[in-house]
Amino acid sequence: MTAATAMQPAEGRPIIKVSGLRVEFQTDDGMVAGVKDVSFEIQPGETLCVVGESGSGKSVTSLSILRLIEFGGGRIAAGSLEFARGSGEVIDLAKAEPDVMQGIRGNEIGMIFQEPMTSLNPVFTIERQLTDGLKRHRGLTGEDARGRALELLREVRIPEPERRLTQYPHELSGGMRQRIVIAMAMACRPRLLIADEPTTALDVTIQAEILGLIDRLKRENGMAVLFITHDMAVVAQMADRVVVMYRGDVVEEGPVRDIFEQPREAYTKALLAAVPKLGEMRDKPAPEPMRILGDETLRAAAPPPAICTRREPLLTVKNLTTRFPVKGGLMRRTVANVHAVEDVSFQLAKGATLSLVGESGCGKSTCGRSILRLVEAESGEIQLDGWNVRGLSRLDLRHARRDMQMVFQDPFASLNPYRRLLDQVAEPLVNFGLASGSELHDRVAHLFDRVELPRSFLRRFPHELSGGQRQRVAIARALAPNPKLIVADESVSALDVSVQAQVLNLLMELQADLGLSFLFISHDMAVVERVSHNVAVMYLGRIVEIGPRAAVFENPRHAYTRSLLDAVPIADPARRRPHDDRSFRPLSSPIFPVGAPVEPSSYDEVAPGHFVLRPLAAA
Amino acid sequence: MKRFLTPQGVIGFTLIVIIVAIGIFAPLIIPPDMATKMKMTMRLKPPSMGYPFGTDQLGRDIFFRVLLGAHTSLGIAGAAVAISVLIGLPLGIISGYARGAVDNVLMRIVDTLLSFPALLLALTISAMLGPSIPNTIIAIGIAFTPFLARIIRGEALRVSAMPYVEAARAAGTNDAAMIWRHILPNVLPLVIVQATISLAFAILAEAGLSFLGLGTQPPNSSWGLMIQASRDYLDVAPWTALAPGAAVALTVLALNMFGDVLRDVLDPRAQ
Amino acid sequence: MTYLLNRLFSIALTLWLISVITFAVTSVLPGDVAMMILGTQSNPTALAGLRQQLGLNDPLVAQYGRWIGGMLTGNFGHSLVFKEPIADLMAQKMKASALIVVMSMAIALICAVPLGVWAAVHRKKWQDTVSSSAALFGISLPDFFWGIVLILLFARMLGWFPSSGFTDPSVDFLGAIRHAFLPSLALGLGLMAHLTRVTRSTMTGILNQEFIRVARAKGLSEQSVVWSYGLRNAVGPIMTVAGLQVGYLFGSIIVVETLFNYTGMGWITYQALLNRDVPLIQTSVFFIAAVVMLTNFVVDLLYLLVDPRIRMQ
Repeated sequence: MTAATAMQPAEGRPIIKVSGLRVEFQTDDGMVAGVKDVSFEIQPGETLCVVGESGSGKSVTSLSILRLIEFGGGRIAAGSLEFARGSGEVIDLAKAEPDVMQGIRGNEIGMIFQEPMTSLNPVFTIERQLTDGLKRHRGLTGEDARGRALELLREVRIPEPERRLTQYPHELSGGMRQRIVIAMAMACRPRLLIADEPTTALDVTIQAEILGLIDRLKRENGMAVLFITHDMAVVAQMADRVVVMYRGDVVEEGPVRDIFEQPREAYTKALLAAVPKLGEMRDKPAPEPMRILGDETLRAAAPPPAICTRREPLLTVKNLTTRFPVKGGLMRRTVANVHAVEDVSFQLAKGATLSLVGESGCGKSTCGRSILRLVEAESGEIQLDGWNVRGLSRLDLRHARRDMQMVFQDPFASLNPYRRLLDQVAEPLVNFGLASGSELHDRVAHLFDRVELPRSFLRRFPHELSGGQRQRVAIARALAPNPKLIVADESVSALDVSVQAQVLNLLMELQADLGLSFLFISHDMAVVERVSHNVAVMYLGRIVEIGPRAAVFENPRHAYTRSLLDAVPIADPARRRPHDDRSFRPLSSPIFPVGAPVEPSSYDEVAPGHFVLRPLAAA
Repeated sequence: MKRFLTPQGVIGFTLIVIIVAIGIFAPLIIPPDMATKMKMTMRLKPPSMGYPFGTDQLGRDIFFRVLLGAHTSLGIAGAAVAISVLIGLPLGIISGYARGAVDNVLMRIVDTLLSFPALLLALTISAMLGPSIPNTIIAIGIAFTPFLARIIRGEALRVSAMPYVEAARAAGTNDAAMIWRHILPNVLPLVIVQATISLAFAILAEAGLSFLGLGTQPPNSSWGLMIQASRDYLDVAPWTALAPGAAVALTVLALNMFGDVLRDVLDPRAQ
Repeated sequence: MTYLLNRLFSIALTLWLISVITFAVTSVLPGDVAMMILGTQSNPTALAGLRQQLGLNDPLVAQYGRWIGGMLTGNFGHSLVFKEPIADLMAQKMKASALIVVMSMAIALICAVPLGVWAAVHRKKWQDTVSSSAALFGISLPDFFWGIVLILLFARMLGWFPSSGFTDPSVDFLGAIRHAFLPSLALGLGLMAHLTRVTRSTMTGILNQEFIRVARAKGLSEQSVVWSYGLRNAVGPIMTVAGLQVGYLFGSIIVVETLFNYTGMGWITYQALLNRDVPLIQTSVFFIAAVVMLTNFVVDLLYLLVDPRIRMQ
């Protein structure tokens, strides 16, 4: 017996109305409420963004609407989910029967998810996956189904749609797969589209296209969109109204301009303060710590001398090239090479930060690893404070490693789960014989103080700490041998926004106090704008533009830099940019056959210290 | 710790403790002639108050024979698994950590060895060496090594690719220290799980070898040998086979149950 | 194409390694073969004569060369025990064993896969507990024990099947099946239990993946999601495990065939081992290992058909 009401929907009736939703999970530690009391509604043609950090319950909320939460062990304990169907009937999804729900899913409500790489069945063709929903809901088969599938592919602007039908998911990139997932969700013209972090796993340029796509589909179909995200900048871009969630409750809700310009609640204010906004470093000469609410002991970074180019370089990289072999053919010969880093040159001054920024696969990570010789470069020169890094013997390299350390991206995987934190931070000291016994203990304790971790954590194991805390341990470990250079490889990318701000501030403080140089590797332009003195933009293994931060951000000259900056969402609804969801442009590949001729990089100096790559012969 | 306390885990662990205790203490407590004393007038008697498991074809008390057989069967299985771990662990770790040519060559050999069914290998080695308890241990140990080496190598490969290994390398850790501090502790949980399961298979293997006369030899007694001896009397006295068979089954079952729970708890992917 | 050539080269190399290992195990290990055949108390002249006859005094490499050379030219020697050309023996016995291996695998797969899927779908409920417990119990009993139970039940008590012997299927197909049935069941029960567990855990892993959630979000029926989207992805891993289990089966046949007096490869290998019939041991072991290796190669090829991702590499 369904709780359907046969009311005629009045004008302006919301497509979905969530009231008092409470969702519980049975865990080893007893009953846990993932969502405690959530209410909101969405009008037709409106985009509602639900934003929150991890653990806020935003995903659980979206999964509950389609009752998918029950497949994961959750249970709707209270509340109602009133959905206005196309027929005019209003039904409470929380109490609907399974076969009714099956009829609604993929039909009147569509959903897209976060991970495009795993959202498609690896063993079925694209055609099969597009058409089985059509078959189920519209009874389309054969040529009719195929025709509709092609239509859908065209709507989401996938190039060569006929070819895609016979392909398998692994043959397509992440951006294309996400478009197909969207096509599947749109197949039956849903009234409501639920998007659960759909662009989090995508590069920023692809993200811009997908956001544009979702927006256009919404306008063309008049549907309502429930958009879940943790990224305030995306919220500013997409939302008409916003719901802010924290630990299972709604903290604040309202129109997007109100939330951003006049937040009422402390949590919302803190969240907004922690988000770096692209463009807010304009007119500021040097990196500045983020203003974190509630942090009274705000320390300003000691301003470094005005122009970095006058300072002595700590690290000089010349024509660095790193390639990886691709094996295949008979007897596993090398048939091609991946040109991960190609002819890269730059300088990093003492006490300054140079950011390597680019999308996935541009080679920025490999560049960092090559400098530390965690990966062996093929050619080029690396000078670190007098050491010729590439020429060092293995023994000398171990000594040189005292001066250059790395902080990795994944706070969970960069610590050994079976070793105490004290031992792990002490490891560099032990390796280099820098201390032992009680002196070792003291030094490690001081390092913990430095990164603002309680000394009681010394004897703990990694799994007892949060992501942000683990990253602080990783920073302490990197600081232990008193290095001159720290390579931060996407060190804050995996952290919640508020934690990210704290860790960035810590890094900037350490730089001011210790004169550390940072090679900051990231894909996040807004963060890079905050922390860098100089910026290098990478694409397909080469540096396409490099210069002082202000120059590159305010006066980008290379086409790629421009498209990158254009694509970044700005955390300010007043500065919304319409995005063109033009069809996916195939990326050139960095894979070249063995022995292919490779041009060296050459640059134009368009302003003092600001260099732009000249176009290559073979684009 | 809570995850150990499933019904399966508790039952499995308790059974193992009991069985191992029997294996260790039974020979010390029970006078040997309780199991070897033959009484021709009491041949093939079904279970009763005086003889809980009945008597065998020589009038011996099966109950005590089963209890003492635990010592032999468990001892052989345990020693065999120990050998396979002793050889397989360093092999697997070096192969998985060093990668490259070393890995290719070692794994080629291991894969070839894996084409030989373990039982066949054990039987052949035992037959060529001449069956006896030490040779049974060697045979089963060698036969189980390739499988263990392969599994450990896979885990060592996975661990070697983890960021904390790269971080340690950046911190100046050399290969020996790397293996000791980082590789070994992270491979060990898997080794523990596999060893438990291998123990179960080793008991089955010993039973099979003894059943074929190529394992434990009289006058020693193991469960497998008891089952073999009972073959001729199956129709008239099935308990002669059922008692040792049940002992094998119970032990292997307990090990499998506990091994399953261990795997759930120690699998790093589940953490 | 290059893939095939690579694999063929690999197979040749592995076959050669198999021969080396077989020879090593049967000749290099301590134990005087002549003494084992004639007994330790035999007359030294007789022992010396036998050693000469068997070529045991030649350097090992020469003995190996003779054996390999023989095999490559199709001369597999004569069995000391059976006094017949080994080649004929191998052909006959391999046919017999192939029959029960195939039958047991078929029985096991047909029962285990649906059971495993059912357990995975009803995870942590009574259906899962019952079938998982039964499977756990199934892998804990030795194959020969199943054999003994089956003999007692079906052969002695019920008389439905014979408890021993073998009939050539080309001669009498139905009779061959009757003789093969109980041994196949003895082999298959343990295998079924193992495959049920594997299916269950594979399916559980698959059902937790994102694309399953996406399929449900499309409104597909749960039936379709599990049996169409889910199971299709499990076929590859289950097939791989089943292939590996064939190796295990070829070990178990030694015990099971002996128990049932079913004259296949296992039975003859055991006879050879008992009697120290070294030429027969060497060739039997070699053949079994070769068959196992080739089976796994075939499984790898089949995997290409099953998983489109592998095809592309």
